[in-house]
Amino acid sequence: MSGEATRARFERIVQPYLGDAYALARWITGDRADSEDVVQEACLRAFRAIDGYAGGNARAWVLTIVRNTAYSWLARNRTAVVTAVDDLAAAEHANANLAEASAGGAYGANPESELIAMADAARLEAAIAALPPQFRDTLVLRDFQGLDYREIAAVTEVPVGTVMSRLARARQRLIRAIEAGE
Amino acid sequence: MTTGATQATTQATPHGEDDRAILLVHAYVDGELDPANAIAVEQRMAAEPKLAAERARVEALRHALRERLPQEVPPSGLELRVRRAIGPAMELSVARAQPPRPTWLALAAAVMIAIFASSGGTWYALQSSANDGTAAAVIDGHLRALMAPQPIDVKSSDRHTVKPWFNGRIPQAPRVVDLAQDGFPLIGGRVDVVGRTPVPALVYGRHQHLISLTAIPDAPAALAKSRSVRGYNLIAWTADGVTYWAVSDLNTSELETFARLFRDAPL
Repeated sequence: MSGEATRARFERIVQPYLGDAYALARWITGDRADSEDVVQEACLRAFRAIDGYAGGNARAWVLTIVRNTAYSWLARNRTAVVTAVDDLAAAEHANANLAEASAGGAYGANPESELIAMADAARLEAAIAALPPQFRDTLVLRDFQGLDYREIAAVTEVPVGTVMSRLARARQRLIRAIEAGE
Repeated sequence: MTTGATQATTQATPHGEDDRAILLVHAYVDGELDPANAIAVEQRMAAEPKLAAERARVEALRHALRERLPQEVPPSGLELRVRRAIGPAMELSVARAQPPRPTWLALAAAVMIAIFASSGGTWYALQSSANDGTAAAVIDGHLRALMAPQPIDVKSSDRHTVKPWFNGRIPQAPRVVDLAQDGFPLIGGRVDVVGRTPVPALVYGRHQHLISLTAIPDAPAALAKSRSVRGYNLIAWTADGVTYWAVSDLNTSELETFARLFRDAPL
């Protein structure tokens, strides 16, 4: 493929998702300037790999590269931040199971859900930032980027069942954080 | 309210039935359930207040995330920065002269535009005779395949895999020959419909191009003559009562080479 064709392909497949790429990088790195670095590096990787892109969901393909780039970037630049896999395993099987976590709230349409819906932006953002990375990525890909479960499974390279469980746990943690703060 | 049975299950396995119910509520809110499961979850939520409460919380949270934290717009310089970074990489990639790969997406995009532009009627202007009708159907099948995520239904370079695949799908499996030695690797096969008859189509590759070879039994004999229709080259010939149509964006001489090799290949 000629350089021009590669470039045209890049502009069609990657360029439309720069905003999504930046948003995901921003949630992972927590920093605007770092996110720009990550997006630039991810775009270079995408450009070099674009001949191997075999069709399918372009956004999910781009976000996969962004996510991988962001983590290798973090590993290079901020080793302390990356949560070890062991910690994640512990978080995934945390003491409180889902049913217990959901119990205890008032039932039905009630002030509780109104309170959640009115959550303060800064508190929400802090609660998302405090999530274990894999929980946070799953939540961001679903609730901000609008990917479906299968796409999230592809991007984060885990089975759909793990996506479901991470998503539910991430949401419950946010809900608890909101409720604890009020 | 949970039943005694599910409570027992929950005690036995901490991540048991109750957890599954919670996951299903989240999947319900996310629109991930098929209709049957969605109805089942709706019924459970109607019967179990704690599941209904979970649904209310999840919906409230999604609302809050959407309303309170709209996606941040990337800085205006980012696109320019990416373009600059790609610039040198592009020169590098030209220098490396990358091997060509199929560009399904590019082809599909071109095809979409062609189809929208021709808006139905003009495309079928070539239906002046039976053969032209067949030609239109054959090209149609080729275009449809290019637009699909996978241009083929059975993917294999092994003719002993491709040929049996057709058995049971159509009355007569086509002749499949191996032309990989000649630079036309077999990629797979699919079933096209010409008129109202399902017919086998083989897909061969040539560099980044695809060739669809549709085999139509009991068809009127066709002249072994190539022609061009809307930028696609077509060549048809008849052998042993089967009319073969090869269609591709490949140039005429290479397509004729392909046709000759296929025709002359020993079984």
